[in-house]
Amino acid sequence: MRYTEFTPFDIVLLAQGLGVSVGLFLATTVIGLLIGTLWAVVRFYRVPVLAQVITFVAELLKNSPVLVQLFLVFFGFPAFFHINLGPVEAAVITLSGNTAAFVYVIAVSAIESIGRDQIEAARAFGLTKWQVLRHIIAPQAMAFAIGPLTGLLVNQLQVTSLISVIGVMDLTKIGNILNLRTLKPFIVWAVVGVLYYLAAKLIAFAGATLERRLRAHTAWKGL
Amino acid sequence: MRIDLSLLVPYLPFMLEGALLTAQVCVLALLGSLIVGALMAVARTSANSLLRRAASIYADLFRNVPFIVQLFFFYYGLPEIGIYIDAFTTGVVALSIAGGAFTSDVIRSGILAIEPGIIEAAQVSGLSKRKTFTKIVLPVALRTSVRPMGSVFINLILTSSILSTITLNELTGTAKIVASDTFKPFEVYVVLLIAYATLTYLVSLLIAALHRRLNRDLGEAVR
Repeated sequence: MRYTEFTPFDIVLLAQGLGVSVGLFLATTVIGLLIGTLWAVVRFYRVPVLAQVITFVAELLKNSPVLVQLFLVFFGFPAFFHINLGPVEAAVITLSGNTAAFVYVIAVSAIESIGRDQIEAARAFGLTKWQVLRHIIAPQAMAFAIGPLTGLLVNQLQVTSLISVIGVMDLTKIGNILNLRTLKPFIVWAVVGVLYYLAAKLIAFAGATLERRLRAHTAWKGL
Repeated sequence: MRIDLSLLVPYLPFMLEGALLTAQVCVLALLGSLIVGALMAVARTSANSLLRRAASIYADLFRNVPFIVQLFFFYYGLPEIGIYIDAFTTGVVALSIAGGAFTSDVIRSGILAIEPGIIEAAQVSGLSKRKTFTKIVLPVALRTSVRPMGSVFINLILTSSILSTITLNELTGTAKIVASDTFKPFEVYVVLLIAYATLTYLVSLLIAALHRRLNRDLGEAVR
């Protein structure tokens, strides 16, 4: 028996796929933000060798296709390091690393956006380097970085669609399955596209709201 | 756990063929997205509000839907309505349309950055609307947007790796074949990663040089 028609269960399937996509997106965003920020802090402290290595790795990750990185982790790592790696683990490693590389660049430019005079003034008041980072740089850098970060995250959501190629059951993979079963590519891919579009708009909206909050202290309040 | 790259030497000519195909796709898609992007930028800055709205919906849609979904939409969808084109043409068309959305943004901001005084001077000199646009506005806008266009082009190169999912054997596609032939996925994909990174780095150097050359008479402001 062949189910060539759409069934109500397909909606559940699509919702599951969307859940997997969004879940992996959120997880890799959190990990990527942590690692990327950590890298930026290492650079801020000018740790020798490590800082240069991080810059090089970030450049490599930024300037190569995510698909190739995905293949390297999913096919290459198990063969070379003799470890077991499922598609989901490989996807989490790759996407986190990729997000971290872009977050690193944004974080570095956010830190550099704060004037030297502020840092010097804080140091003159006797704050330690960590206190300067925590109380002077971090709050301002956050407000500076949120705009580019929103753009990055909208992009990273779309990048998650590539993990369907290594067999993760995300929204794109579900679209593939439905397409093969019903042979109605226009409807299937349009629905999948709309779901991604709405998710992207949600991220952009959340980013804009957060930015307004973080920039509230610089807003014009009237006399 | 030793990297032995000599194994890959016999496969180099095969992978070069793939690289050549990637280059062809990218150059054609660059031209395509330039044409689409310029037309859409004109529509987005036109006085006609309907045209303006339609063009911004296009740009918004194709920037917020994953490229792989767009690609599947075209690849599986077009035969449905009786258009049979091969993977190469589908890839170039899809890349041009997606790239056009980003290019239209770049050219649009190039157009909006032109000082109103220049346009007024052209009008006073008796140039028609059409002449003003093709002789004054577009050349200046294109010239100043070389650098942002370069990052769109680099993105295009990285995105072209996704075409391997629709059976087009470009650089990533050939690497996939070599990896399964030699059982050395790690070595193959590491080489591929570095190859892409080097390629995009060289392209970015080239673009910076082109930008400097085209804008040499604009002084320090654009450097």
